[in-house]
Amino acid sequence: MSLAGYVAKRVAQAIPTLFGAMLVMFILVRILPGDPARLIAGPEALEQDVERIREQLGLNRPIYVQFVDYMSSILRGDFGTSIKYRTPVIQEIIARLPYTLLLAAAAEAIAVAIAIPLGILSALRPRSKVSYAVSIVSLIGASTPIFWIGLIFIYIFAVSLRILPSSGAESPKHLILPAVTLSLLLMGNLTRITRASVIEALGSNHVITAMSKGLVQRVILVRHVLRNAMIPIVTIMGIQIGALLGGAVITETVFAWPGIGSLLVDSLFYRDYPLAQGIILFIVMVFIAINILVDVIYAYIDPRVREILWRGGRS
Amino acid sequence: MEKILEISDLRIYYYLPQGIIKAVDGVSFDIYKGEIFGIAGESGSGKSTLALAISGLLRPPAKVVSGRILFMGRDLLSLDSEELRKIRGKEISMIFQDPSTYLNPVYTTGLQVAEVFEAHRGGSARKYLSMVVKLFRMVKIADPERRVNAYPHQMSGGMKQRVLISMAIAERPKLIVADEPTSALDVTIQAEIVELLNEIRRETGSSIIFITHDLALLLEIADRIMIMYAGKVAEIGRAEEIAKDPLHPYTKALLASLRYERKKRLQSIPGSIPSLISPPPGCRFHPRCQYAMDICSKRDPDSININGRIVSCFLYGDHHGGDFKR
Amino acid sequence: MERREILKKIFDARKKRREEMWEALKANRAAYVSLYIVGALVIMAIMGSLVTPYNPYDFDLSRARMPPSISHPFGTDELGRDILSRILAGARYTIGISVASVALGVLIGVILGLVSGYLGGLWDIIIQRIVDVMLAFPTILLAIALVASLGQGVASLIIAIAVSTFPVYARLVRGVVLQIVSEDYIAAAKLLGKSSTYIMIKHVLPNSVSAIIVQATYYMGLSILLASALGFLGLGVPPPTPEWGSMIGSGRTYLFSSPHIVVFPGLFIMISALSFNLLGDGLRDALDPRTRVLLRRG
Repeated sequence: MSLAGYVAKRVAQAIPTLFGAMLVMFILVRILPGDPARLIAGPEALEQDVERIREQLGLNRPIYVQFVDYMSSILRGDFGTSIKYRTPVIQEIIARLPYTLLLAAAAEAIAVAIAIPLGILSALRPRSKVSYAVSIVSLIGASTPIFWIGLIFIYIFAVSLRILPSSGAESPKHLILPAVTLSLLLMGNLTRITRASVIEALGSNHVITAMSKGLVQRVILVRHVLRNAMIPIVTIMGIQIGALLGGAVITETVFAWPGIGSLLVDSLFYRDYPLAQGIILFIVMVFIAINILVDVIYAYIDPRVREILWRGGRS
Repeated sequence: MEKILEISDLRIYYYLPQGIIKAVDGVSFDIYKGEIFGIAGESGSGKSTLALAISGLLRPPAKVVSGRILFMGRDLLSLDSEELRKIRGKEISMIFQDPSTYLNPVYTTGLQVAEVFEAHRGGSARKYLSMVVKLFRMVKIADPERRVNAYPHQMSGGMKQRVLISMAIAERPKLIVADEPTSALDVTIQAEIVELLNEIRRETGSSIIFITHDLALLLEIADRIMIMYAGKVAEIGRAEEIAKDPLHPYTKALLASLRYERKKRLQSIPGSIPSLISPPPGCRFHPRCQYAMDICSKRDPDSININGRIVSCFLYGDHHGGDFKR
Repeated sequence: MERREILKKIFDARKKRREEMWEALKANRAAYVSLYIVGALVIMAIMGSLVTPYNPYDFDLSRARMPPSISHPFGTDELGRDILSRILAGARYTIGISVASVALGVLIGVILGLVSGYLGGLWDIIIQRIVDVMLAFPTILLAIALVASLGQGVASLIIAIAVSTFPVYARLVRGVVLQIVSEDYIAAAKLLGKSSTYIMIKHVLPNSVSAIIVQATYYMGLSILLASALGFLGLGVPPPTPEWGSMIGSGRTYLFSSPHIVVFPGLFIMISALSFNLLGDGLRDALDPRTRVLLRRG
């Protein structure tokens, strides 16, 4: 199957998932305590005002009609209106999205730049001190709460040493601590998987074939070991995007980084549920899109996959 | 006849935490130009280790402890890695057992074969693809122009094995070491592959070392056969002679197990391969040997040459007071 | 051989295997130590609130934000409460919530996995779709959404984390089911007229137990981090409950002056997650038959 055909199939597969996600969000919002109409109207409003808003929002109609309305609005880009800001949710999201993207990209870049070389090195020298140190550090990294380590970093670098700012996003220097903190979330697992998959690739039989052909060591390493090791590594990177997005929420809160993550937490604090659910749904949609992208990349680097169309995910 | 390979008293041990495994323990034989030399033995007999050693592909914990491997007069064990690399693929090549795992799934088969040319002639593999097409034709892969761009998973087992063979003959090596090349294939495909190898030997004059546990197969295709047991040589001789007149008890037992249809009973050899970490004292086969004598449990027999046949057994030669048993 | 002798041999073999697994676990020193730490944490969770030197809810603003001292080994928090006491009392929230949510998650996941794999067909498709949708949410986000909807409190936290994490077990069990459903002994059992439930319990579960245990221990670590993260964000159990995450959340404002308020609870979170992860590693190695063979050879 060609790559294009695979992409099409993968997108088609994602549609029911998207539908399901919207359904879940819709249900969750409905379970919420409190009357959305009253929330919007405010505590002082009169009963008829609340009733008017309720009609405006269409809360009187049957539930499935509401759901269809909901879906069509989302697909049109209308994620609702924020109670607090009184502006469209999508507008608030777009305004702060670049910050989150920047943070996520920076954290991913740092994690990849450190974890993959470390993992490869540690695989090539399995019993060295490097290898041992790497496994210890990655284990500790995977067990540390990021909000805590973020605060510790703030204390060390902003309060004690005073070399980095503690919050906000005014200058490039402000990006350093949040990005490093977030990258720690990814580094632990990424190092371990890189190491494991390079070790496995090193032991594969086609490496012996490559050696028997008389190829140079370097070529064998790059072409037959690393290239094959990339497959599980890319897989794990794709899976980690979820943790990246979730971790961004926490990191932005700790460092008061003005992205959609901190916006989400704030909106929950202020009970601005339209905004909160809009952000969550938006992130989920982005996540679904990224997953499709990762699967396509995966199909590109592993030709065997193009023949298989699995259900749900890889095992 | 020209000698391509001379192995003298080769010992290869595996150094493992649980002990030292003497996988190859004093093996000597020669290979001549253009012959098909079969090596037969059960798993654990050391034949695969031998194969890897000849190509210089042994990795730790395996280590060549002593002995010599002379290829065209050069001692392979004294060469450095770059010199060995130049020989591998060009003068000595290998065919492996399981084409599925010995081919890289992420590259096309054509590119992987072209890599042989790249390794020894330089440049990028891509430019040798047309030569690969010719090779594919030679190994009877149908529709070679298309197949060159196919991935391994798009090919059948037999076809993949032909790909491996084409890889092995690409640079017209003097010696091809085939380690169980047909064991993973259907019987019908086996026959085709074996015939293909025969043809290659005829057309290119390469010598082939054919390693397998299937003695029957060797009796059909090989010129000479070496029977290995537990890291040692039991017997070496011409295929017809061994078939007619096996000398070593192990050989006799192997042949008997093949001829079961005549006896109407499957004759297996009682017992199993000894532990290679602490092999029994004396001849390694004696616990399972029906001809075992007292001396067999005490000393290891030397190899004796009887009219061109090599055999290591106290039944023959004059270890035993000059008695020349048949 | 007599029937009794055969049974005895089976029991002995099983006992020997269990002993081997235990030996394998002990061989991994880190895992062995973490086993004890985990034990200590569990005890702390159960009995913590009984042994606190001070009342964890007693606040006294005049003694607020005092650094660690002999009378208050971990210092006092922003409301003057003894941090050590709060940590001891809070263990049962952080650890308890994690254990409960993992247990619930395993339960849901195993049931769904069994149904999905064994009954197949429409059930399989529906459950797989549900799992897909769950996995379309980043874990924390799903947990946040659930807690926001269900309201604050221990129960919602447990449900939220369980729901966010069950897909893994569902997949695992489904995989095992699919793997063994074609095995002969299943066909034999069916021929003997055994009901599906019987087969599922008697054959599928034992085969998945070790994989589930390993995953569950990892997820314990994850749940601890997740639960405390939600607490940090203010979405967990409501104040003044001494949950470790929310202690950090409320102490955050005073980071500059009194970092100890944040340091100690976090340290405990980290130690808990670390021990469970190490234990998971050790269990995985111990339960992997290959490791045991290596150990047996000496």
